[in-house]
Amino acid sequence: MTVRDILAVLTFAAFRPEPDDSSASWRKRFPRHRSVLMNIGRSLLAWRGVQRNGRIGAGDLLRGEPKEVLAQISLQLKDASEDGWCALSLNTRYVISLETNLSRRPGSEEVIKSNPRSVLGARYERGKRYAVTHSPETNSSILVACDEDHIRKTEALIKEAGLQTGRVCCGTYLLLRHALSQTNTTKGGDKPASFLYVVCCQGSVCALVQDQDRWMELRSRTDVYEDAVEPALELLAPFKQRVPPEIEVVLVCDTQFPEMTDGLARIFSGHKITDLSQPDLLWTLLVQN
Amino acid sequence: MQILARSIDDFKSDRKGISPPLPIYLRILPILFYLTILASILLNGVFFMNFTQAGKNKELAVAREKQLQTELQTARKQRTDLENEAQKASDIVSWLEASRPLQPLVVEIARSIQPDSSIVELRLDRDADNPAQIRLSLRLSSDTTRQLDLTLAKIASMRFRTFSPQQTLEKGEIDYKATLIWLDAAAREQKDAAATTGS
Repeated sequence: MTVRDILAVLTFAAFRPEPDDSSASWRKRFPRHRSVLMNIGRSLLAWRGVQRNGRIGAGDLLRGEPKEVLAQISLQLKDASEDGWCALSLNTRYVISLETNLSRRPGSEEVIKSNPRSVLGARYERGKRYAVTHSPETNSSILVACDEDHIRKTEALIKEAGLQTGRVCCGTYLLLRHALSQTNTTKGGDKPASFLYVVCCQGSVCALVQDQDRWMELRSRTDVYEDAVEPALELLAPFKQRVPPEIEVVLVCDTQFPEMTDGLARIFSGHKITDLSQPDLLWTLLVQN
Repeated sequence: MQILARSIDDFKSDRKGISPPLPIYLRILPILFYLTILASILLNGVFFMNFTQAGKNKELAVAREKQLQTELQTARKQRTDLENEAQKASDIVSWLEASRPLQPLVVEIARSIQPDSSIVELRLDRDADNPAQIRLSLRLSSDTTRQLDLTLAKIASMRFRTFSPQQTLEKGEIDYKATLIWLDAAAREQKDAAATTGS
């Protein structure tokens, strides 16, 4: 036991998770501490500060090469955080796919991080980092794969900027999981639900068709739109022909996105459209979870 | 179907040696530590106040003791003075009791002198330490000792007893020296009366 350990006990820091302990939520890791949340895309970098009271603070969305943008705003980011801790949401170089017959051993959703081969089997690819969500009713699973090289480069970029990486996640996958947990709340298969999930996260779009609790189709693209929402709507339009007429469309965006809601209402006329989007939803989820 | 919200999947390169947080119940340790410090400060404050108060009390007690010692000394001195005064008074009373006026004695001696005799010299010396004893020095001009016997009889009638008399007769003069002791008949009577009353 070192003096540092004793001090950690006396300051109660030893009773909190460490800043880079991925098993703990961001709020528990940084109570009464300022930190920074970032969403890094191929040609954009959005960031928001987290205030000491846990509320989302000021930030910005900058278009450009993340490396250059980060070099410009590194001082601003360091000022917005204590000890330079930040959470990253990757908005590029990831693949979300629908898989079947993945290993369902207990704890497989956690084991996939440390030993992905045991869960994915032959579908495992070297140089990827994975996360998975199993359907409790079928053998389908949503698998997200991030490029390990891109993650390491991004972490190095953050380190160069004088910041510390506390979390790296995929914002689109996070929003999709949020939509799934918000809409699938009935235990068992007595009341099967059908939804078309549309997830928009700062240019990335993901659509998942759930028919009678079965995940049927998933499409995910990054950097689909910037200012105009039309490219995203063009990507989603073909689903109109493939989904049942009574299916409910669930929209979840990183923040409130009225253009997307209007566009979906136009494309999916006759369908019930539920908008789960809230202001700063992505940032809120990053802090809460 | 139910999909539970769970913690975010983290793709970060994990640092080795990340330790889990300590159990909540162990927070009692630092809390006890701080409570101990707080109690120490409070108790030290109380002890310091008591110590200061005790010091003041001790100073007051010492000052009181000194004052009482001074008063005791003064009282003792006064008592000694009073005792001395009483002793002196007692001595004076004793002296006064012991000393008798000599004028009647001188008068009786003078009256005892017959016409054929005369007093050449009469000297009565009273011892300051023992006033009951009077040294008598009498020189008579007489051929016989009859005058001396008469004078001594008068002296005896005044309740003086002669002690260690010295008498010389030379050339018609009698030189007589003796110590006269007054018989305190009154005191003896008082003693006798007190003994009678007590019995």
